[in-house]
Amino acid sequence: MADLLSTARFGTVGLTVATGLFHERIKSMQRIFEDHGVGTVLRVDLKPNSRTELLHLLRRFRNLYDIVAVRCVSQQVATVSCRDRRVDVVFFDAGNRNLRFTHTFARLLRGAVEFNLVSDLVDRGDVWALARMRKAVTVAKEHQVNVVLSSGARNYLMVRSPIQMSGLAMTLGLTQAEAIKAVSSTPSAIVTDNRRKRSPEYVEEGVSIILPSR
Amino acid sequence: MSKRYVLVKVVCDRRLTGEQFHEIIDYATRHYFGELGFSRIDPRLVKFDAESSTAILSCERCSASEFESALTLITSYAADPMTLLVLRVSGTVKGASKGRK
Repeated sequence: MADLLSTARFGTVGLTVATGLFHERIKSMQRIFEDHGVGTVLRVDLKPNSRTELLHLLRRFRNLYDIVAVRCVSQQVATVSCRDRRVDVVFFDAGNRNLRFTHTFARLLRGAVEFNLVSDLVDRGDVWALARMRKAVTVAKEHQVNVVLSSGARNYLMVRSPIQMSGLAMTLGLTQAEAIKAVSSTPSAIVTDNRRKRSPEYVEEGVSIILPSR
Repeated sequence: MSKRYVLVKVVCDRRLTGEQFHEIIDYATRHYFGELGFSRIDPRLVKFDAESSTAILSCERCSASEFESALTLITSYAADPMTLLVLRVSGTVKGASKGRK
């Protein structure tokens, strides 16, 4: 898979890791990708069933990962995760017809909304998935929220190149500039911002420790 | 009408011929965009290299993103899982060929 990502010319990939995975195991996974010239960022996908569980998971995992994403499974979880600034990315389950990215969530959203193009469209084989995603993209555009495009690949057959993802996003209704931004600059800005916040010098927004130069 | 040339890497366990690959592209474009979309996109196979599993395809410039989408949504051929990776899009065949490894 790392070889294929390198062929597809990915500079950096987000590795979704299980929360209980050992540090050595994560390091060895990262080394495989880095050997192929692909940088890695660590990402965690939280799937809480309630508001309380979400807040507990955020307290526990926010400082350990570069990207914190929340899979919205209920109205309550979606509302809180859209509003909470510790959440970088929210995404909605394509199979869940009762919960989708609506104007209400778009107004509350502080982070970005993610569309897993390949896993949601291709993997499920649901004929309405394309229509639902098109509607969600329209809502995101209308409220000018940050959009992140991802393949959501779980195996090498689900890997698609950044050109393909931006092409598909343009078909769904984004402009070329918006599609490119969603594939590259928005995710990269999220990672840069979080790495800055996780550094020991960072105290709070606008305050950081500056060490005297020797 | 100007063209866009797309370099594609085929990831499939089965070894494909040029005709089979052409059939896959035609089917996917028709399936996702219909006859009208197919005529607008006008997909053509320019080169197919079975050794390196790469192909150069052409489409109409104004419909390049639609063509890329059709290629993205291809997942199998005759029950064998398959992926097409778009490596480069260019205005010339020579430009598209530069992306080959």
